[in-house]
Amino acid sequence: MLSSSLINEIQKILGKENVFTTLEERLCYGYDSTPEAFLPDLVIRPTCTEQIQKILKLANLHLFPVIPRGAGTGLSGGSLPVKGGVILDLNRMDRILEIDEENLVATVEPGVITAHLQEEVEKRGLFYPPDPASLKTSTIGGNVAECAGGPRAFKYGVTRDYVLGLEIVTPKGEILQTGGKTVKSVTGYDLTRLYTGSEGTLGIITKIILRLIPKPEAKKTMMIVYERLDDAAKTVTLIIKQGIIPVTLELMDDITMRCVENYLQLGLPLDAEAVLIIEVDGPIDLVEKQINQVGELSRANGAREVKIAKNEKEREEIWAARRAVSAAVVQIKPTKISEDIAVPRSQIPVMVRRLKEIAFRYQLNLAIFGHAGDGNLHPNILCDKNDSEEMERVEKAIGELFQAAVELGGTLSGEHGIGTMKAPYLKLETGEVGFEVMRAIKKALDPNNILNPGKIFGSG
Amino acid sequence: MNNLAKTTAYLNRCSKCGSCQAVCPLYGETKTEPYVARGKLFLLKSHLEGKLPLSSKMKEIMSLCLLCKACVEQCPNSIPVDRMILAARQEIAREKSISFVKKNIFQHLLKNNGRLTLAAQLGYFYQRAGLQWLVRKSRILEVFRGELAQKEHLLPKMAKHPFRKQVPRLFTCSRPKLRVAYYTGCLTNFVYHATGYAVINVLRNHELEVLIPEQWCCGIPALAGGDEKTAIELARKNIDVFQKAGVDVVITDCASCGSMLKEYADLVETPEARAFAAKVLDFSQFLSEAVSFHAGENEIPGLVTYHDPCHLKRGQGVSGAPRKLIKMVPGLAFKEMKESDRCCGAAGSFNLTYHNLATKIGRRKVQNIQQTCADLVITGCPSCIMQLRHVLELEKSPVRVLHLAELLSMTYPSRKANKERGANKTKSRRGRC
Repeated sequence: MLSSSLINEIQKILGKENVFTTLEERLCYGYDSTPEAFLPDLVIRPTCTEQIQKILKLANLHLFPVIPRGAGTGLSGGSLPVKGGVILDLNRMDRILEIDEENLVATVEPGVITAHLQEEVEKRGLFYPPDPASLKTSTIGGNVAECAGGPRAFKYGVTRDYVLGLEIVTPKGEILQTGGKTVKSVTGYDLTRLYTGSEGTLGIITKIILRLIPKPEAKKTMMIVYERLDDAAKTVTLIIKQGIIPVTLELMDDITMRCVENYLQLGLPLDAEAVLIIEVDGPIDLVEKQINQVGELSRANGAREVKIAKNEKEREEIWAARRAVSAAVVQIKPTKISEDIAVPRSQIPVMVRRLKEIAFRYQLNLAIFGHAGDGNLHPNILCDKNDSEEMERVEKAIGELFQAAVELGGTLSGEHGIGTMKAPYLKLETGEVGFEVMRAIKKALDPNNILNPGKIFGSG
Repeated sequence: MNNLAKTTAYLNRCSKCGSCQAVCPLYGETKTEPYVARGKLFLLKSHLEGKLPLSSKMKEIMSLCLLCKACVEQCPNSIPVDRMILAARQEIAREKSISFVKKNIFQHLLKNNGRLTLAAQLGYFYQRAGLQWLVRKSRILEVFRGELAQKEHLLPKMAKHPFRKQVPRLFTCSRPKLRVAYYTGCLTNFVYHATGYAVINVLRNHELEVLIPEQWCCGIPALAGGDEKTAIELARKNIDVFQKAGVDVVITDCASCGSMLKEYADLVETPEARAFAAKVLDFSQFLSEAVSFHAGENEIPGLVTYHDPCHLKRGQGVSGAPRKLIKMVPGLAFKEMKESDRCCGAAGSFNLTYHNLATKIGRRKVQNIQQTCADLVITGCPSCIMQLRHVLELEKSPVRVLHLAELLSMTYPSRKANKERGANKTKSRRGRC
């Protein structure tokens, strides 16, 4: 707990109206999009870098935890105040400082909403590709802290591929500038990449310089139904071998389709093993040619049905199925544990079979969907948080699915981060040495463990 | 089990995804988590789990909701957030009791048309007798804390006598296709008479017999304030009167009243209530679906845009009908505004209680209106009209706001309705930009 004199001091820095002390307000900053929730001691809403510097100096002096938070839509527990402390809400630092059309660079504050930035740059014929599912609410700051991905990642990469530079307040309250407006930069260690995906454990990001690209001219969407999952996977490999890089390659398994169909009655096939939603973008002539090539390839490789959207309405219909997934799957059971493993692309069919086998063994409801292009799968375990016996089985299943991902040369997390949810499994992938290197970095940069304690490394 | 406890199943459905942030007008302006649906639901859950009392802070947070249903529409799990907020307010009212002023309004004023009329007339007297002039000039209200001075400005001009006292109870028709009842709503009755005359004029141009029975407040102010008992009493009175009137349809000109009347079926749960609710149609819905609407011959030059009232689009599922009717007006051009269905900030008495916040929300709406270059905004709710006119005036915008009925009425050869409003002025230019 913070002493009242300390709270007074914080109020002096930020103004009373920017410090939330009531239980009601604090409760609303103790959760994110995971099933967990904790109670912070205080919530503060700074509006400038200087205020954050003062707060961190104070935190280092009085040793209280500071947890940065954006929109609170994380899926790994990155913004949860697991050890209490002060939630640092960055939503009010939400200005787009510059869109530099000459150099294709945008400079923004962390609280800018991802979709808002995209809208603004697209007005100027530019493009910021990372598209996490929560982009209408998530903040750029949160995206950088967790290194968010999205369906477009296979072609365009993830958030880290667009971060050119950062302004960071260190745990001691100093200001660190990393990178800049140039695409090339090799001055010493790549600190920009170190902080990107650091989950708020190394510093508070207060300014972000982002790379932009020209907006693709056109886009075409199609849906392909496969009786056998292996055929779907084979098609994906062949498409890429032909030199076609689709912007999205979304995969849904049979259980997912059944959930969606139950929920929306879109006329999805219930006897097929997989559905692919493929989108290509680029110059208009090329897009037309490529979508037909993909169609031919899939027909030649066991596709039962190929549907190319002829207009915006048909495109919407195809995406309606994918967008309904989240809502549809929770109709089965109220708690959704959304995992985020990624494996090398060729291993997708093996991974899907392993997942199904694990779910069968632990008698769990498991819906699998994800991004087939980059091997990032979202196995969603549907369970009931209040059923402790079931939750035990869930825990065991999660351990096994991580094990399987790592064995196949994959990773625990493609785009959600480690946070608290995956902290116990980190060493599975990093090994002892990797773990120690990471911990040494954390110790060197935040010796008093002020920033977001309990994340990545767990409580140990 | 109280109404709030009954909502536990819905609370468990919230996956805390935060999608509601993208559409909540309050969150958009404040970026404050307790004001968005996810925050409120989490607090209600904490309360039901016994971890949080219904404190005065809870009361404040629960009162900070526009009930605009934008989050309900957005929610991937279709959680009826507005109903849960109403249940919470009811529970808070039961535990903490409603404020003295509100209690008097709900339980004495709304249930008694005589007293309600008297209150409206006092308002009229205040405005006409020079008192309002004196108050505004002397800036006496500025000594009070809060935004009383601006709130006073929000009040529209009250009419001297209620609308229903000025029109016959029945407009006959030689060979009526249908017999319809007109539910006038309080704002039309006490403030916006022009809307009332326009509704009647349009209906009478469609071979209908129009009945305006004695009626009561629909009850939505009471329900939104946590007083379900008063709301049910008012519902029973209205159901009784309109069922006895023996009409085919009950037409409303107010989106909020309309959605409330339609909800009587769930509120009162009797066969009569269900029969009544099934007869209720919004003015635009009725013209577009129940009769084949024909506009008059008067051309209305100009560029117009349309604001979707929350309680019409999301409350009653009506958004196509008004647009279809607007497009049938001769000479008029229509342009859609951005975020046409985002709440204007009126939300019943929300703009009175939280004036600054409501005005911020209203400003975004006004910006969207101005971007269309339209010189006229059409909508279907007197409460929205009051708010839109107020914020447009604050922004010194010349854009006019009219009820859909007023626009449609202007197309017919002049009758009393047109004289009332002096709306015969035609403009030669189209659009303001």
